[in-house]
Amino acid sequence: MNWATRHPGWAMFAAMAGLLAFLWGLAIPLAAAPEPIGPAAEQFADGARITVWLTLVAGSSGIVIGILAGVGKLSRFWPLRRICDAYVWLIRGTPLLLQILFVWLAAPSILPEDIVLSDFACAAIALALNVGAYNTECVRAGILAVPWGQVEAARALGLTPVQTFMDVVLPQSMRVALPALANNLASLVKDSSLAYAISVVELTMVGYRVQAESYQPIPVFVTTAVIYLILTTAFTTLTAALEAQLNTGQKR
Amino acid sequence: MNSPAPSPDAGLRPIIEAREVDKRFGSFHALKKVSAVFYEGQVTAIVGPSGSGKSTFLRTLNRLETHDSGEIVIDGIVLNDDLKNLDAIRREVGMVFQSFNLFTHLTILRNITLAPMRVRKMERAAAEQKARTLLERVGLLSQADKYPVQLSGGQQQRVAIARALAMDPKVLLFDEPTSALDPEMVNEVLAVMRELAYSGITMLVVTHEMGFAREVADRIIFFDDGVILEDTTPEVFFTQAEHERARAFLSQVRHGF
Repeated sequence: MNWATRHPGWAMFAAMAGLLAFLWGLAIPLAAAPEPIGPAAEQFADGARITVWLTLVAGSSGIVIGILAGVGKLSRFWPLRRICDAYVWLIRGTPLLLQILFVWLAAPSILPEDIVLSDFACAAIALALNVGAYNTECVRAGILAVPWGQVEAARALGLTPVQTFMDVVLPQSMRVALPALANNLASLVKDSSLAYAISVVELTMVGYRVQAESYQPIPVFVTTAVIYLILTTAFTTLTAALEAQLNTGQKR
Repeated sequence: MNSPAPSPDAGLRPIIEAREVDKRFGSFHALKKVSAVFYEGQVTAIVGPSGSGKSTFLRTLNRLETHDSGEIVIDGIVLNDDLKNLDAIRREVGMVFQSFNLFTHLTILRNITLAPMRVRKMERAAAEQKARTLLERVGLLSQADKYPVQLSGGQQQRVAIARALAMDPKVLLFDEPTSALDPEMVNEVLAVMRELAYSGITMLVVTHEMGFAREVADRIIFFDDGVILEDTTPEVFFTQAEHERARAFLSQVRHGF
């Protein structure tokens, strides 16, 4: 981690390049593996890509949701505050699996008939809403940690409230919120496995299918676990580097 | 410098007019119908004991505090809830804070260019050019690419002054600009402020630096218990203050100059 914190730019680049290389090169070494992994190499690679894609889509939407709801919770307009409170309360108080099933099964009856959501979209929406609720609290804590003097200085210079938020408060709040947001993202990599319940063919689903065909759960699940570990490591490196990047103003 | 400042007939143009400004914090009556007119080019030192309302008064002038009643007019614009007026006023009135309040996530250069680029829509190159000129003026050009935390308090405050100047304000408000500094750093900040004072910019300085007030200010305002007790020239204030309260205050802080 030391190298990564000293050269955050390179670490981010390395983690991203590594992740891409891993996702698209994964099938090559796996194909050389013995039964039952070798013949299923492409399936594993596809599953890993779906997992990462699901994580990125839900994770980035979740950050936007977290910022919006986090700001909403601090709003002076009480109905907005109540809505955001209710959202966080609802999501944190119910199981993620239930939320995924709800979006998958309930969305078709709520949405107009000409809008059809794919299984992947359902999973992404449910995961984004879920991680967004947890992000809300991180963002709120981050914003509260920005000293009021920073806001006063920006306002005194003539920046509008929106400019003050975007240029001063948000970047500084991220420095505080990022470790917690990174934690949520790492959880999301693993939580995305619940999408298997609504037949999204992500990594866990691939593992489940391959072991069902081969009756060899040990090598299959070990492989699956190793792939997850590599993915979470890449994401953690990425966020740690980003954290170091944002910390530049704090270094002495 | 030391002309009889408060006289409105000296041909000076009023730039800030405060009429019967009243402010309460809960049960605490911070400002009791304070009225004062400040003229273009004038350097006013606002002094007084802690809690006397001097900082609150300064902060109402760019609406970091709202006043409960009374009227404040800045360069012809009434300070009220109208955001358009407020934005116009804040563009004309710069502020330097006791705790510097530099943006910790931005380099020194970006601290100075942010407002000109966002508020005045200046091109980056022009804003940076201007920022460098201002940094040179406060003697910190070599620090342009550092972050605030890497600078000493005195250096940070000089950057804060440069940041305020980057908006070409007509008025600069200083809220105890040297109170958070180690003693050996006070002078470097006062030197910059002295240079500014002689450049003709309108300055309102809330301060405990009596030596500075006496030397640089055209006018001294003494606050006590939410009212202006004395409003006079430095000579008069320091030698023959009218009120006993002001004389007592002076004897308390006399070691300062």
